[in-house]
Amino acid sequence: MNPLLPDEALELRATAAKAFAALGGVDLARSAEDDPTVRAKEVAPVLAELGLDDLDPWADPVALAAAAAVCEAAGRVALPYPVAGFLVRDADGRPTAVVPNDLARVDHGDLFEQWRVVRADGAASVVAATGPALGSRLGPFVADLHVLDDSVAPAHLDALLHLTLSAWSVLGTVDRAVELAVEHVNGRVQFGKPIASFQAVQFQLADSAVAVAGLRELAGFTLWRLGADPDRARPDVLALRLHALEVARSVLRTCQQLHGAAGVCDEYDISVLTRMVQPALRLPWSTERTATALADAIRVDGFDGLFPHAQAAS
Amino acid sequence: MDLRDSPEEHRLRLDVREWLAGIASSMPVPPALDDEAGWRRHDTTWQRMLFDAGYAGIDWPVEFGGVGAAPAEHLVFLEELSRANAPAIGVNFVGQLHAGPTLMVEGTQKQREEHLPAILRGNEIWCQGFSEPEAGSDLAGLRTRAVRDGDDYVVTGQKIWTSYAAMAQWCILAARVGEGTRHEGITMFVVPMDSPGITVRPIRSMLGAHHLNEVFFDDVLAAPAALLGEVGGGWSVIRTALAHERVGIARYARCERLLSALGAALAPHWGDLPASLHTQWARALVQVRVARLLAYRTVHAQATGEVPDVAASAARIAVTQCDQAVAEVLFDAVGHESLDAGAHAPLHGAIEDHWRYAQAATVASGTIEVQRMIVSKALLAGGRV
Repeated sequence: MNPLLPDEALELRATAAKAFAALGGVDLARSAEDDPTVRAKEVAPVLAELGLDDLDPWADPVALAAAAAVCEAAGRVALPYPVAGFLVRDADGRPTAVVPNDLARVDHGDLFEQWRVVRADGAASVVAATGPALGSRLGPFVADLHVLDDSVAPAHLDALLHLTLSAWSVLGTVDRAVELAVEHVNGRVQFGKPIASFQAVQFQLADSAVAVAGLRELAGFTLWRLGADPDRARPDVLALRLHALEVARSVLRTCQQLHGAAGVCDEYDISVLTRMVQPALRLPWSTERTATALADAIRVDGFDGLFPHAQAAS
Repeated sequence: MDLRDSPEEHRLRLDVREWLAGIASSMPVPPALDDEAGWRRHDTTWQRMLFDAGYAGIDWPVEFGGVGAAPAEHLVFLEELSRANAPAIGVNFVGQLHAGPTLMVEGTQKQREEHLPAILRGNEIWCQGFSEPEAGSDLAGLRTRAVRDGDDYVVTGQKIWTSYAAMAQWCILAARVGEGTRHEGITMFVVPMDSPGITVRPIRSMLGAHHLNEVFFDDVLAAPAALLGEVGGGWSVIRTALAHERVGIARYARCERLLSALGAALAPHWGDLPASLHTQWARALVQVRVARLLAYRTVHAQATGEVPDVAASAARIAVTQCDQAVAEVLFDAVGHESLDAGAHAPLHGAIEDHWRYAQAATVASGTIEVQRMIVSKALLAGGRV
């Protein structure tokens, strides 16, 4: 039993974190909203320098862990780039995204000429952006896409990989959110003392930190399952997505609350992180839809653990 | 990352599984809920079976008669016991998890020789005289006094929430010597429960079989040989005693077993259950997995020589909340049958039993609030959880 990521992945995460900080950290997300071209002009070259153009997550367990680690680093600064999709490329180099069954809507969908999108049943299509990104506060870079070619090989496993890497990005966001909340409550003085001295604040932080620690362990476990036994990992990946969504909802809410009014102001990173992570939480499926898909998957395929859990055989 | 059993863990898992399969028909049968003598017999018989098979004190060092299993192997062992629906640690709880490990660290050679083999064989039941009416989570506020009288000490005071006190032969007792406050003067004793002046009053609770008790000490004489550690050195002894318990119970394994067993029992009617219960069930399985992984993280840290206080508290928060969440999902699934108890209840009463015990999960052995205090203190000081 060794629940730790390999050293190579941790090193890449540290290198990526430095590179993203040099780009401005969360400020880069702020500037990309005003000028979306910084994604291609500033972020893409840095990712190339980190070696992501040549990183194949399926190559071996270390590569898979490295991909997850970069996604985590990206999530910590709301990097304005679809790193998870970019890491899951088809044979022609198109990025991949999992999409809702009836709609091809993808975060940063406008960034590439073509995408390969995969639906819940594994069916894949080549698509292209229909128009400009939404430009909304919660989905500034989200674009709808139209189908160019439906005669593409199914891509079940790449869909699982994309969902897993997206969850790692969410992990980075919530991990950073707790750090930001800790910094804020230690510095913010009310009633003559730092608000960190109030137990109501301390306990909310403790619960958030425990939730993030649990998500991190589950993300690691799922990565291992995906690498070791991808054909049976669908319930595991759905479980990770469900848990990531639920942890994000609760942790981000808490961390915003602990910031007071600052929690909704873009001058503060917590607000930008919370806005920018929304596409990952709503696409391809929101929480209850994910929970339903997970329950169905467990019924058919079971759920790896100490005891059997499938009910379909009866 | 590789969460498979190591070769040693795998071998232990298979060995334990084979042994448990072989004794399945001779495992002690659980008595009725309120049959105190029956439970005592049940739990000590099981401890003796563990001893005879060489598994007693699985996590105790070899030099003290244990198996010397690594923390991860200990968890594997507990998981397999749960898989086989083997008896819980029950009345052997304090001896195995508190008194024994404390005697190993603080006891005299004579104390160790007298008690450790007896605990392992199931011949001695222990209780823990820590909590008092005015000193629960804030244990340092304890008021029980031990007054020097010649070479002896005279103990006066009241303990409460003392598990299995009515069945125990021995008590690991915390009392204050001198006039100090807080941690000053706290001193540990090992006291025979048949000492004159000790009165045990059971507290009726939903846990059953007089699990909880009040214990009154009226001028109870404790000889110098009853001292455990130094006079006034009790606070560090208490920390030793409690450190062993944090991860010691693989509650998540019992949760998962019940979800699996009830899932199988409900399978023919699964489609008739409300859809929201299907998703709650899935969430419960995820919660169990997360609790298990946090426990693994802690034992892995222990194995690498860390003292994972914060990780252990995080795991405890997760596993005790998991206990209660799973209890609710199971009760929701069985509906009105949740009110039945005993052999005719769903899963022979295991679900009803689990729900009752789960109500104390976030209080027993250190409240969830204390765990949150440990976690937040580390977090606010710049530490990671």
